[in-house]
Amino acid sequence: MTDITLQRTRPVVKKPIDWWRWAGRFFLTFLLIFTVLPMAWMILTSVKSQFAAMQYPPQWWPAEPTLNNYFKLLDPTNRVGADFLRYFWNSFYVSLLTTILGVVVAVPAAYAFSRFRFPGRNFLFFGVLVRNMFPAVVFLMPLFLLMRWLGLVNTHGSLILTYLTFGLPLSIWLLKGFYDNIPIQLEQAARIDGATRFQAFLLIVMPLSTPGIIATSIFSFIGAWNEYVYAYTFLSRDDQMTLPVGIQRFFTEFATDWPGLMAATFMMSVPVVVLFLVLQKYFVRALTEGAVKH
Amino acid sequence: MAEIVLQRVMKNYGPLYAVNDVSLTVNDGEFVALVGPSGCGKTTTLNLIAGLLPMSGGDIVIGDRVVNDLDPKDRDIAMVFQNYALYPNKTVFKNLAFPLQMRKLPKDQIDQKVRDAAKLLDITHLLERKPRELSGGQQQRVALGRALVRDPAVFLMDEPLSNLDAKLRVQMRSEIKRFHHNLNATIVYVTHDQLEAVTMADKMAVMNGGFLLQYDTPANVFANPINTFVASFIGSPAMSLIPLEGVTSGTDASLRSPEGWELPLSPMNARKAASSTTSKIVLGARHSTLKLHKTQVPGSVPGKVYTVEPTGDVTFAQVFINGAVVNISVEPSVVIHPDEQVFIEFDQERMHLFDAETTMALQAA
Repeated sequence: MTDITLQRTRPVVKKPIDWWRWAGRFFLTFLLIFTVLPMAWMILTSVKSQFAAMQYPPQWWPAEPTLNNYFKLLDPTNRVGADFLRYFWNSFYVSLLTTILGVVVAVPAAYAFSRFRFPGRNFLFFGVLVRNMFPAVVFLMPLFLLMRWLGLVNTHGSLILTYLTFGLPLSIWLLKGFYDNIPIQLEQAARIDGATRFQAFLLIVMPLSTPGIIATSIFSFIGAWNEYVYAYTFLSRDDQMTLPVGIQRFFTEFATDWPGLMAATFMMSVPVVVLFLVLQKYFVRALTEGAVKH
Repeated sequence: MAEIVLQRVMKNYGPLYAVNDVSLTVNDGEFVALVGPSGCGKTTTLNLIAGLLPMSGGDIVIGDRVVNDLDPKDRDIAMVFQNYALYPNKTVFKNLAFPLQMRKLPKDQIDQKVRDAAKLLDITHLLERKPRELSGGQQQRVALGRALVRDPAVFLMDEPLSNLDAKLRVQMRSEIKRFHHNLNATIVYVTHDQLEAVTMADKMAVMNGGFLLQYDTPANVFANPINTFVASFIGSPAMSLIPLEGVTSGTDASLRSPEGWELPLSPMNARKAASSTTSKIVLGARHSTLKLHKTQVPGSVPGKVYTVEPTGDVTFAQVFINGAVVNISVEPSVVIHPDEQVFIEFDQERMHLFDAETTMALQAA
């Protein structure tokens, strides 16, 4: 009986066009073009000569592509290259230290918030999150005064400290979610099996939270790598500048060298893109962890 | 192997006592089940023995050492958890080897011991797998393996079977029992399933509300429950409890129902009833001690059939007597219908009388 009806109805079924689905696709395509186009233009410009870049109407495709701009930036013997490489190193140094210190602080903090009940636990945890309610710029002046009082103006330490205060809340919050999801029985088992509390944390819990640690590392690294306003305010000596400030300063000293600027910008985005591509699976896992019970 | 002694052990969270003045002794090589409903304090008690929670008061002795302030790792115990707590990022081999590595055994000894344990539990072919690639029963066996590989003084098990399906549970039940028999191990086993406790344990400790109510062999707990809670918790189906009025005249005594009938008590039961603090007495009886009659016989009371549940080799009937539901087992050949009037005969030798005020079992003075 059911077979017959199925056969009879199947050919009649005609899928109506799902307009919502097509609207979604159209919107996503638009969004894709919107984000990819500037980057494509950046790369295209970076392989043009200065003359070709200024032409009007623009050269959509470089007639004589050249990698000279990149060679110039990566050559430590000329002034441009030396400056760029120093900025790059400064940025890397600040971002890396921010990331490492961030993990060193966030991991035990998140673990404590997740596992221990201590007086003021909730207050502290929300205190950590309240920082995220304010835009970063609001803290610019107070932090500058604080740094001057500490004698840290014009040092990389001022930036590292600042980036930590901005990066840590999210790191702690994300990692806490990870630790909440690791059954406490695993640690109890380890402690009964002969581990101290710290060994149980180090040998059992830490390896299980690696995805979370990696994700929070990316967050803090990218945050520090891209930061502009604080670096611009706290640092004034040329030899300490980080990339975002350095690029801007450096290229406006002369007539704007658009291809050079674009080449430098592209190089600056390389570490971020690489980090993302390599570690994106951890990223997604960290953000969705705890959303559903496994 | 070792014995465990709990002396007036307390654990409180503020005014809430999770474990209240619990004292018991687990002899060397004994299998003791801590049993009770959810939140009765049995798992907390186990965690106190393991040292995973700090005690609020009392003493715990394992072997000849007071372990009150010792870390779990120094108590020479092993534990099997409800969710097995296998290290998910380690292979089965490494899971089993972990307790030995922590004790810094030489590598060849670790290898030997792990393989011996694996062989004993028939998991040798699984040694290179990760826990998530194993079935529930296999995970359970690995968890047991990790506990026994170190040859600890005491095994603690926290509802190890409750995550398994019904069939596997019955199978693992006999395997754990065999495990206890082979190793002659001291085991403290927490379960909310009274059937597991009754079938597996040498002794059972029935807990409720943080208190240890009764600690005895399953047979004794079954035969002589100390109060109405234990009576209704142990046994399946549960013991039926009927609240009645005790009436005495001289040395004779009987139980009277507001429904109008009266059940005379034997001299022994009459003396028990006399020791009650109030005239309100709860009559308890297990389904197998009751006889169902279609017509009134001496010593029987009237009831009304509520439901009939045939299970194949025995049929369970629920009968309303004096407003209480009474479970009775009858031969499957007996035909009864819901709402039928029946008469229930009590066995004076095997009936239980409880004080309705204190809920305690009445003893002959």
